[in-house]
Amino acid sequence: MKKIASLLLSLMLVISLLGGCTPTPSTPSVNPSENSGITEKLSVYASFYPMYDFALKVGGDKIEIANMVPAGTEPHDWEPTASDITNLEKADVFIYNGADMEHWVDKVLESLQNKDLIAAEASQGLTLLEGHHDEEEDENAEEEEEHHDPHVWLSPIKAKREMENIKNAFIQADADNKDYYEANYEKYAAEFDKLDKEFKDTLSVLPNKDIIVAHQAFGYLCADYGLNQIPIEGLSPDSEPDPARMAEIIKFAKEHNVKIIFFEELVSPKVAETIANTIGAKTDMLNPIEGLSDEQLAAGDDYFSAMRQNLQSLKAALQ
Amino acid sequence: MAIFEYDFMRRAFIVGILLAIIIPCIGIIVVLKRLSMIGDALSHTSLAGVAAGLIMGINPILGAIAACIAAALGIEAIRKRIPKYSEMSIAIIMSAGVGLAGVLSGFVKNAANFNSFLFGSIVAISDFEMILVACISCAVILAFILLYKELFYIALDERSARLAGIPVKTVNFIFTILTAVTVSVAARTVGALIISSLMVVPVACAMEFGKSYKQTVLYSICFAVFFTVVGLFLAYYARLKPGGTIVLIGVFCLVLILFAKKIMAKILLTMNKL
Ligand SMILES: [Zn+2]
Repeated sequence: MKKIASLLLSLMLVISLLGGCTPTPSTPSVNPSENSGITEKLSVYASFYPMYDFALKVGGDKIEIANMVPAGTEPHDWEPTASDITNLEKADVFIYNGADMEHWVDKVLESLQNKDLIAAEASQGLTLLEGHHDEEEDENAEEEEEHHDPHVWLSPIKAKREMENIKNAFIQADADNKDYYEANYEKYAAEFDKLDKEFKDTLSVLPNKDIIVAHQAFGYLCADYGLNQIPIEGLSPDSEPDPARMAEIIKFAKEHNVKIIFFEELVSPKVAETIANTIGAKTDMLNPIEGLSDEQLAAGDDYFSAMRQNLQSLKAALQ
Repeated sequence: MAIFEYDFMRRAFIVGILLAIIIPCIGIIVVLKRLSMIGDALSHTSLAGVAAGLIMGINPILGAIAACIAAALGIEAIRKRIPKYSEMSIAIIMSAGVGLAGVLSGFVKNAANFNSFLFGSIVAISDFEMILVACISCAVILAFILLYKELFYIALDERSARLAGIPVKTVNFIFTILTAVTVSVAARTVGALIISSLMVVPVACAMEFGKSYKQTVLYSICFAVFFTVVGLFLAYYARLKPGGTIVLIGVFCLVLILFAKKIMAKILLTMNKL
């Protein structure tokens, strides 16, 4: 009898776990192409959050847009599912960052039957940074595969250029609404310039320039504002840090009196906490804006608010 | 030595050695019971527990422990139904655990929280985790010493153990709970990879040398400690990922031992012929 009891008990636990959670209301605009016939809006797919946000800002109510990477998912290792590819077959515009961010893009675009799809690489025409660590060029051989640093959107000026490319793609797909897209772009271009000025004004007066970050995402931002990033992980956040790298970072932090170790939302903070504990520093979040969580989206956060939060965190760390 | 300068490396050694002592103790019983894959199955199930804990708003580590205990009891229950094919019970629970973890993780609102519980690394251990591992280690060592003979008899042959008057059900229950708690906590602390391999590989190595149960236990602990310590040193000085390094050293040693044994046997055979 006891065996049955324990079996039942484990079954009941399983069932109660399943029952304890109500399914989330289906995320909005997962399938924009389906209603495109009625509204004649452009059906747009964006490869991950910043692309989604920029495209939404330019496209406004003239487009139906979906973000391919679900909220709260780390995009570096993400790959599209069969249903994502089916969606692309029906889409009008596909926006991706490029610069070695979406390693799956070339293969997927080649395989698509959809000849009318306008695939826009947002980072087109931008000067890219090389993708290796400055201090340890040949030691992490696996990382050599990624040739460029894809994190262009973290520089407001480069992000503005990305939005311009997105705007051009929309105009190409839907010339009738050219003025609308242009007007939206102009409005946000001014926002990007304002953000850039805020970063310049705030950061240039601060005495410290070194930031320790979870992964090597802030290269463009650092280049723009004269900062120096010391990444715990390479261009794509890994599962486990190597201890020698951790020791180097601890040594660096001690020597340069770094008071804050940055972690990021979509990667475990454990390593940052370990380093911070060792040197008696604090941890804080610096968002590489590779994806926002459902909570942040519900709170109305976007690229600009996340960047301003980053600026506050940087200010506190570098004072 | 530079390697011990850093707090996180000292922690890695302390926690690593503690786990290297207790996990082979559990491992040897598990291997004798033909449940070698239990470490894997339980660590997968613990993910479901973490997700459930986050969804229901209880401590995810408690969730992981509860899920592991349920899974371990489930394995025991199924194993008794089909004693001839005890590995099947693990396959069943493992697939249930993986499936459940996959479904539940879709409902977790705060991905960052989930990540921090999914991720375990021997070089990033918090105070709380270190204390937890120390407590569990004491419990396992104590139970293993007190129930030393009982566990061995049961692992070898449950029926004759019952005839000899050993309280099989109680001992099995205690062992199952200890296994579940150890795996759920250790997998979250140092990563599932280290746990499932430390449970089996050192035991496999020790079985090549141990002439008695006691010897095999002692040897497997020695092997596990050896793999962990060498793995941590190598990871630090050769800039490697510590978890994978520890596991690979273990497998490499096992292959080396099996190979050496085969050659020795051949040499003995030819010498006998001469
Ligand atoms: Zn990144």
